[in-house]
Amino acid sequence: MIISLNHYLVLAALLFSIGVAGVLTRRNAIIIFASIELMMNAVNLAFVAFARHWGDVGGQIFVFFIIAVAAAEVAVGLAIIVVLFRHRETVNIDKVNLLKW
Amino acid sequence: MDLLHLLNQGLFWFFVVMTVVSAIVVVFSQRVIYSAFALLFTFFGVAALYLFLAADFLAASQVLIYVGGILTLIIFGVFLTAKIYTMDIPQQTHQRYLALLPVVAMLGLLTYGLFTADWKTVTPAAEPTTKDLGQLLLTTYLVPFEVASVLLLAALIGAVRLARPMQEEDRD
Amino acid sequence: MDLSRFNLITIATPLVLGAGVLLVMLVDLLSGRANRRPAQLAALAVVLAAAAVCLATWNTGGVSFFGQVSGDGFASFFNLIFLAVAFLVILAGPAYLERNAIHFGEYYSLVLVSVMGMAFMAAGTNLLVIFLGLETMSLALYVLAGFNPARQSSNEASLKYLLLGSFATGFLVFGIALVYGQIGSTDLARFSAYLAGAGDPFAGYMGAGVALLLIGLTFKMAVVPFHFWSPDVYDGAPTVVSAFMSAAPKAAAFAAALRIFYAPAESLGLPWERILWILAALTMTVGNLSALNQASIKRMLAYSSVAHAGYLLLGILAGNELGAAGILFYLASYVFMNVGAFTVAWMVNRRGEGRYDLGDFAQLGFRRPLLAAMMSVFMLGLIGIPPLAGFFGKLYVFTAAVQAGYVWLVVIAVLNSAVSVFYYLRVMVIMYMRENEALKDVDRIPATFAAVAACALMVILLGLIPGSVLDVARAAVASMP
Repeated sequence: MIISLNHYLVLAALLFSIGVAGVLTRRNAIIIFASIELMMNAVNLAFVAFARHWGDVGGQIFVFFIIAVAAAEVAVGLAIIVVLFRHRETVNIDKVNLLKW
Repeated sequence: MDLLHLLNQGLFWFFVVMTVVSAIVVVFSQRVIYSAFALLFTFFGVAALYLFLAADFLAASQVLIYVGGILTLIIFGVFLTAKIYTMDIPQQTHQRYLALLPVVAMLGLLTYGLFTADWKTVTPAAEPTTKDLGQLLLTTYLVPFEVASVLLLAALIGAVRLARPMQEEDRD
Repeated sequence: MDLSRFNLITIATPLVLGAGVLLVMLVDLLSGRANRRPAQLAALAVVLAAAAVCLATWNTGGVSFFGQVSGDGFASFFNLIFLAVAFLVILAGPAYLERNAIHFGEYYSLVLVSVMGMAFMAAGTNLLVIFLGLETMSLALYVLAGFNPARQSSNEASLKYLLLGSFATGFLVFGIALVYGQIGSTDLARFSAYLAGAGDPFAGYMGAGVALLLIGLTFKMAVVPFHFWSPDVYDGAPTVVSAFMSAAPKAAAFAAALRIFYAPAESLGLPWERILWILAALTMTVGNLSALNQASIKRMLAYSSVAHAGYLLLGILAGNELGAAGILFYLASYVFMNVGAFTVAWMVNRRGEGRYDLGDFAQLGFRRPLLAAMMSVFMLGLIGIPPLAGFFGKLYVFTAAVQAGYVWLVVIAVLNSAVSVFYYLRVMVIMYMRENEALKDVDRIPATFAAVAACALMVILLGLIPGSVLDVARAAVASMP
């Protein structure tokens, strides 16, 4: 069997869906973060696979920027979580009571 | 040739299984620290798959930034908020099965699109892409490159502003 | 190397803003602690300089930087909207920040970073630039929403905005990945050319790609069913930031949507129209009905901004030149009404940050007649009473939708506008009719008052010369490559 583009894309779709499931079912802010990172990784994998398919480096460049954005989001996100924890001692979204999903 | 081919295939499937299984652990583990460490394996698995796709530079970046930066930050976050382990916090929501519905629907949609698309398998010769990436970043993608630098600056300002305790403002 | 490919004129405005961020940080550093006035003045100067550059380079830069950005009239028009909002919140902000003991120089630099991101969303002709502009804008907004770390609700608003925003970003980039997979490029010209030439525009990955792109963008516009974050975030964020967030990012999201979907809208055909039809109808109805029984002015304005996103979608759905130009005009008037209303809301707030009760407006008509009159202008403008600017915005967008054959949707929109009269007028009734509740007097803050007055003047002025502004908007739409 030859490993084709479709293999990578099914994997990307699967990984993305696992990430979405994590965001929707978990309530711990750090786990939600990890799930969002899974989604980003899935997107990156799809981009690299498509870049290979088209023989074009543009897709890889896009991945480069997504990684930068993800790093920036995590840096700000964890700063917020730490501030929140300082006050409330919880990172559970359900305990964040003023604002419900 | 056949042995090499077999080895190649075996490695591919090894990394695929590693990525998927660790991703499932990340999402469904009951302990936050297990999730964080499972994430390590997912990131490594994806980096290995980049190598299969001839994206050598990205594989290195993936390890450096995701494992070296993002994962470290996440583990820091887990430790800084460590008291949650001693508290009894239910980590599952009640609408868990309801939430899986859109997930399954989406997976179905994506997989459907995949198998209806007609794909030609083009396999250009695998060459290191680092040089091309570097050249493109300073020509075609110059504007995005500069925007990204401001984005990172904003993250820097923002994270410092948020994490600094209010009282320190009077002290310095 | 051919340097003419790097035409700096196309990105002159965001360039000034980017340099301005550094300048403001430097000024803030040098001016020592407890004195933020120099940083504020520097930020105002940067915004004015950027506006001057924007006017000087109006529609002069074509597509440049290897097709990444276009400095056309469309970008210039939106830049002016963003800069106006930034100017107003920087001018009005210090009094609020002082009151809450959160007056830090980062407020100014983050507002400027955010506006720079918006400028790239409006100028981008490649999905990569639009994505990065969106993220730059959002990242600054996440921090601004949590700018009051001592207040729990501010932290929570920030966390919620960030988690849901990143979640939506995931959908947006997956959509871009699928579009890239189908056409081998993220260039918007290639995107519309592909759709125009394709027999089935949704074949292969394009269907899922366009759907995911739409989810990502409608989240930023706060369109139902992706609106649920906006009342909580606007409510929890510091009110100066709510004023900014409810105005400029919404305009930027519509700018990006027009950039991406204006040209190929026709080739997307029936499924696209049906989805937008349902989204528009749902958004305005849910927004207006939810706004009806809000006791907090901030939540009421948040739901009202959801409803306005619904009206604006009509312009995208219409897909014609009047629809797009109508959106530009609508946004140009909407931002002033919203910034003005939110600013008045925190000026009259006398029960502390935790409570933004409509009762705060009691007797305002007699104690501060001028302020009450300006608030009335904003409320009447949001309803769409002629001859205020809000009326013409709705008129253009609705006319465009009728021309495109969406009569029933326009009927729904008009009925919705009738419903909105109740909650907007309620504010005026309270201001002029409710008995005194023995509240403290409203502070007199000259700079903030000037900002509110500028908003009111713009709402009236745009209503006096709607035709010529619409002509500029039409030219701006026509200048898109």
